[in-house]
Amino acid sequence: MKYLPFIWRQLTRNKIRTALTAGAIALAVALVCLLLTMPAGMDNMLKKLASNTRLVVVNEGGLVYGLPYSYLQKIRAMPGVVEAASWTWYGGAHDLDKGVEFPNFAVDPEAIGVVFEDYNITPDALEAFRRTRNGAIVGRGTLRTMNWKIGDEVALKGTAWPVDLTFKIVGEIPNDRAPHFWFQREYLDQALRAAGRNGLQTMGIAWVRVDEASRVDSLLREIDDTFRNSESQTASETEQSYFKNFFSMLQGLITVILLVTGLVALCIVFIAANTASMSVRERFGEIAVLKAVGFSRRLIFGTLLAEAVLLSTLGGAAGALVSFGITQLLRGASGWNPSLGPLGGFVVSQAIAVQGLFLALFVGMISGVVPAFGAARRGVAETLREVF
Amino acid sequence: MPLPLRYPLGNLVARRARTLLTVSVIALVVVATTLFGSLVSSLKRTLVSTGDPRNLIVLRKGSTNDGSSILPLEAYQSVRFFEGVARDAAGEPLASPELVVQPFFHTESGGRENVLVRGVEKIALAVHDDVKIVEGRMFEPSKHEAIVGRGASGRYIGAKLGDTLKFGRGSWSVVGVFESAGSSFESEVWVDARELAADAKRPLPYSGLRLRAADGADMDALIRRIDGDSRWALEASRESEYYAKQSESANSLYLIVFGLAILAGIGATFGATNTLYAAVQSRRAEIGTLRALGFSKASILFSFLVESICVAAAGLLVGAAVAAVLGHIVSSMLGGIGFGSSTFSTSVIELRVGAGDLVAAAVLAALIGVFGGLAPALRAARLRPIEALRKA
Repeated sequence: MKYLPFIWRQLTRNKIRTALTAGAIALAVALVCLLLTMPAGMDNMLKKLASNTRLVVVNEGGLVYGLPYSYLQKIRAMPGVVEAASWTWYGGAHDLDKGVEFPNFAVDPEAIGVVFEDYNITPDALEAFRRTRNGAIVGRGTLRTMNWKIGDEVALKGTAWPVDLTFKIVGEIPNDRAPHFWFQREYLDQALRAAGRNGLQTMGIAWVRVDEASRVDSLLREIDDTFRNSESQTASETEQSYFKNFFSMLQGLITVILLVTGLVALCIVFIAANTASMSVRERFGEIAVLKAVGFSRRLIFGTLLAEAVLLSTLGGAAGALVSFGITQLLRGASGWNPSLGPLGGFVVSQAIAVQGLFLALFVGMISGVVPAFGAARRGVAETLREVF
Repeated sequence: MPLPLRYPLGNLVARRARTLLTVSVIALVVVATTLFGSLVSSLKRTLVSTGDPRNLIVLRKGSTNDGSSILPLEAYQSVRFFEGVARDAAGEPLASPELVVQPFFHTESGGRENVLVRGVEKIALAVHDDVKIVEGRMFEPSKHEAIVGRGASGRYIGAKLGDTLKFGRGSWSVVGVFESAGSSFESEVWVDARELAADAKRPLPYSGLRLRAADGADMDALIRRIDGDSRWALEASRESEYYAKQSESANSLYLIVFGLAILAGIGATFGATNTLYAAVQSRRAEIGTLRALGFSKASILFSFLVESICVAAAGLLVGAAVAAVLGHIVSSMLGGIGFGSSTFSTSVIELRVGAGDLVAAAVLAALIGVFGGLAPALRAARLRPIEALRKA
């Protein structure tokens, strides 16, 4: 520690170079942090929002194929199932010219609150939802973007079903990542019958809440086995793996992002190494003098390395802070962008900032070690002869 | 009198290690931005190149894509005979009714994706005349046969010619592979509309209609007539505009690429500046001598700028080459890059470094060269010969 002032003086003696190097490292670390937010955001979302004890059951052929509604009752009766609820895509558009602006589903009002317990919908809202036949319970984000409030009546035009419905908003889903619009399945069913069609006999997705994580695997098998030889085969998985699959098409994009991140990280190493080698080279004479007056090789190696590490760590810290600030700004700006999926949530978490910092530390060591070693090894007499 | 070009070039060679490091930094920045930029432009190119400006897409009003639309049969029967719809040699209107379903497909790498399966009739190949079957033949109706786009064929299990493809409730034999000049049709699978409707248990066989407008017909009038028909709430739009709209989701990605290029570019500029400052510093005596010999300030400034620009140019060349190779490797390793458009079906994109991406990289490298060299070159030019020589 007592050499810290010495190291600091060395760093500040060529201020332009130090500033430029620190700046370059800061920018690169900021970039790495920002790029890492994209895949990290995806992992985060999967971990935080998708539950391991909630199962998704869909038709093996694909979401659009639907499942018979009668399956829900059979699933409910299976041991280990706390509750099961269905979602059926209504495709309601508030303004036909704008199309479907938020996902809206016909759901089971009795079961939905239990299955999506983690959404923390208030018991009052759930109670009102159960009692109001045309009631709707709407995601906080959707309420905000559509400028609606609880108690409003809203009319939607069905694009997936040929009936237009009017709803009364009775509650909110207090979860920013769930922009859904839920309404009673029975309401859609009756409207279809009134329009002279068959009632609603299918559902899009069955959500199943399991009592214990240890029963998940056997239940997944049981569900698929039960419906194997019936008219619609099912594909069941946990919510986490479902979302992972849903976004697996983004794998290529993530590969490119990680590749670019790696390149930028490599770039920092080169910039830092360049600076370290330049500043050591210019100081050969001095270093020889230091050795001549009795400073040990180890000390010289240590101070030179410490200089490189200090420089890149300072730069890295600045970079991590900048990226943190940028994402805070962006956070407000980015909304529900279905094409980017979870990649759209740019948030530099503390973990990423720490990763950036460690990257900088690591870069400092790598970049400093070769020139510092060279300088420490260099013969004293030889160098001094060259200089004087 | 200008300094000969050999002077800056010779200097670069003399300080090989330092030059190499700086070239690598610039090359890396070029690779990073080019790779990312070409990803976005490939995506955009794929989506925008889809659709023919002479074609109209007719959907139910309010549907933003094929997948969520339903077209009544009577509407199809009526609209296809509207004035302004082109006809083939036999007098059949060039109107292709289509059903779109998005079942799960499994990728070679173990993922599961929603793929756009288009149920069509024979007339589809006449309306989408850029779609060409390059291997095998067109499917025959009611034999559970399918033709597969080039992109989809390389990405999904069972999608090669002669394979049996499983999706929806049934199995389909792949009898043909088609291309469409790189457009997003190549990410699709086409089968017989009626078989697909039966497989998906859709009550109506069609979700939308594609029309070819007759030569010289007033497309706007045709659009107005379809939109204005009060019997069915339909909405017609130009096919090319429809796909351009689908590609808007890529615009936010452009913003990211732009930010990346700026940040990385500034970083590389700093690196280049550093190297050149060190070069000026170690060459004080030389510069002093040159000035004493009578070379002007301007020629010294110019010489250092040339040095910096040469480094940037070398970085650009290396970077662009590496980016092209890397892009190719990534693309072929992953069987194309999947991207979810706003319809949630997967577009398979071939990552290709285009001319536009290279121009952008060249601009970036030029800026790095000029701005990285400017400050050190100015310092070199301002050195006073007497002082510079005395210190040496």
